[in-house]
Amino acid sequence: MEKAVEIQDLVKDFRTPGRKLPLRAVDRVSLTIAPGEVYGLIGPNGSGKSTTMKALLGLVQPDAGTCKIFGNDSMQVDSRQDVGFLPENPYFYKHLTGAETLRYYGKLCGLRGKALEGKVKELLELVDLGGASDRRVGGYSKGMLQRIGLAQALVQEPRLVILDEPTAGVDPVGSREIRDLIFDLKERGITVFLCSHLLEQVQEVCDRVGIIYRGKMVKEGPLDDLLSIGDQTELILRDASPELLEKLEAMIRSEAGTELLRCGRPKTTLEKLFLQETVGRKHP
Amino acid sequence: MSRVTRNRPLNPRRIGVITLHTFTQLVRMKVFYFLGFFALIVMVSNLLKIQDLGRPDLSGAEVLRSIRSWSLGTMTLFSVVLGVVATALLLPKDIEDRTLYTVLAKPVPRIDYLIGKLGGVLMLLFVSLLVMDLLMSGVLALRTHFVVAEQVAGLQARGWAADQIEAVRLETAKQGPTWSLQGAVLLVFLRAAVVASSALLLSVLSTSTLFTTITGVLVYFIGNFQGVARKIMSEEGMGFAERGAALAISTIFPDFGIYNMVDMVIQGEALAAVVVGKAIGLTCFYLLLHVFVSWLVFAKKEF
Ligand SMILES: Nc1ncnc2c1ncn2[C@@H]1O[C@H](COP(=O)(O)OP(=O)(O)O)[C@@H](O)[C@H]1O
Ligand SMILES: [Mg+2]
Repeated sequence: MEKAVEIQDLVKDFRTPGRKLPLRAVDRVSLTIAPGEVYGLIGPNGSGKSTTMKALLGLVQPDAGTCKIFGNDSMQVDSRQDVGFLPENPYFYKHLTGAETLRYYGKLCGLRGKALEGKVKELLELVDLGGASDRRVGGYSKGMLQRIGLAQALVQEPRLVILDEPTAGVDPVGSREIRDLIFDLKERGITVFLCSHLLEQVQEVCDRVGIIYRGKMVKEGPLDDLLSIGDQTELILRDASPELLEKLEAMIRSEAGTELLRCGRPKTTLEKLFLQETVGRKHP
Repeated sequence: MSRVTRNRPLNPRRIGVITLHTFTQLVRMKVFYFLGFFALIVMVSNLLKIQDLGRPDLSGAEVLRSIRSWSLGTMTLFSVVLGVVATALLLPKDIEDRTLYTVLAKPVPRIDYLIGKLGGVLMLLFVSLLVMDLLMSGVLALRTHFVVAEQVAGLQARGWAADQIEAVRLETAKQGPTWSLQGAVLLVFLRAAVVASSALLLSVLSTSTLFTTITGVLVYFIGNFQGVARKIMSEEGMGFAERGAALAISTIFPDFGIYNMVDMVIQGEALAAVVVGKAIGLTCFYLLLHVFVSWLVFAKKEF
């Protein structure tokens, strides 16, 4: 099966004036993404996530190694037919409206006529910007910019979408909308390659993750394998009576070799609480 | 599995899309305000006869000459400044705003992007010069009509022969809106086009708006003095190294000498079609050269 993304031993050095040694931003990183997968690259700031993505898009030239998108080398223009990109903190042409922005990127991909207009409309609906489509992008909020950026990335119906910190700087509500859009892409069979430092979200949407630190890939694999703690089991009950709990505890104690580590109420996340108390509120 | 490839460089439609977009961007930056300003000044100066202020001896053909000189001078200034500034703004702005990422992440060959950007500036120059040209020609036609009528009436009163009057009339009409004048406007456009493509090259090299603007203006001045410099150098007799340096400068920096035929047109001389043809050829050569060198640099650039 053809891989959606194939990065092999990618090395990227940046030579900055005034510094003798070049800075190695990416150090022999290899990763492959199967079609339909959602892949998350995580790592602290400055660890080479964006540089890896730029190399995959041909925006920077690798010093060594190769990057391929659906078998096409990234330095070739044709490889970009199949990929949509949302850069980190995107800005768009301020003089264009939301609809004009999508139209422009669509035309760059060779769309025109009715097909283009239909696509623009569909995407504006998808990212929930139908009401703001006639406003200049210069006046968009951070979350709206991120969403028009996502729409722009999808305009030529690419099979792969690359998202560089898609939820950075967006409030939890907007960030959840973007997460839902990613789920939507996944359902439609689109391969997603994203990086983020919002680990909770990565955990929610990704099938596979790679952890990159100081340019090196330190850990990689399917999320379930990486996260499951081999020798532990979780049991979550609803409306359990104190008597039942006592019985269970007694049973466990009588079992040799098994140890009860913790028993108590699971916590909701602050994010869930925030959403429940703001947009999820029934009576404001 | 892989789809048909249709992303060859130099795709006219894609270049057209970028050109039109760049043009829109520049228009919405409100550079056209300058045009309105120009129109206003031309109208007002014509109404108040500013050309005649302090020069009461100015009469007949002199007035027309002064309008031509003033208009072509403004066109030159406007087009050169616009050519440098607009071009210097575009590329660094795209890089700074990171809009370039999203454009180049689409299947857009980098040469198409460069040509499209330059095309947008050229389109803006062409449209603005066209508007100014129409305005100037209109005013000139009107004034020529009045001046000729005045002259003919005066000469008739003095009892000149009809063929003599006709000769004077023809002489004055040369100061009106002639084909040579249109040729001169074309030369102004061509010069601005070369200025813009030089600025494109500079902005690819430096990606700084300020640097590009300053050096762009410098290139324009060096280009204007090249003819003079060459003359001086050939007279003084130089060493080998100096001659080499002079040759390098004259290759990189375009020689704007040929476009200075505009001055002759202001004086009422006719512009030979050969000169216009030569200027078009030279302009095309410089545009191609600048775009090609820009592309060599830009193709390897990282963002
Ligand atoms: N254009 C550049 N010039 C010089 N250094 C750069 C450039 N881009 C990135 N770097 C450096 O490379 C390293 C990795 O950067 P980046 O890929 O942006 O990290 P991340 O996206 O993981 O935060 C950082 O140390 C950064 O300073
Ligand atoms: Mg980054």
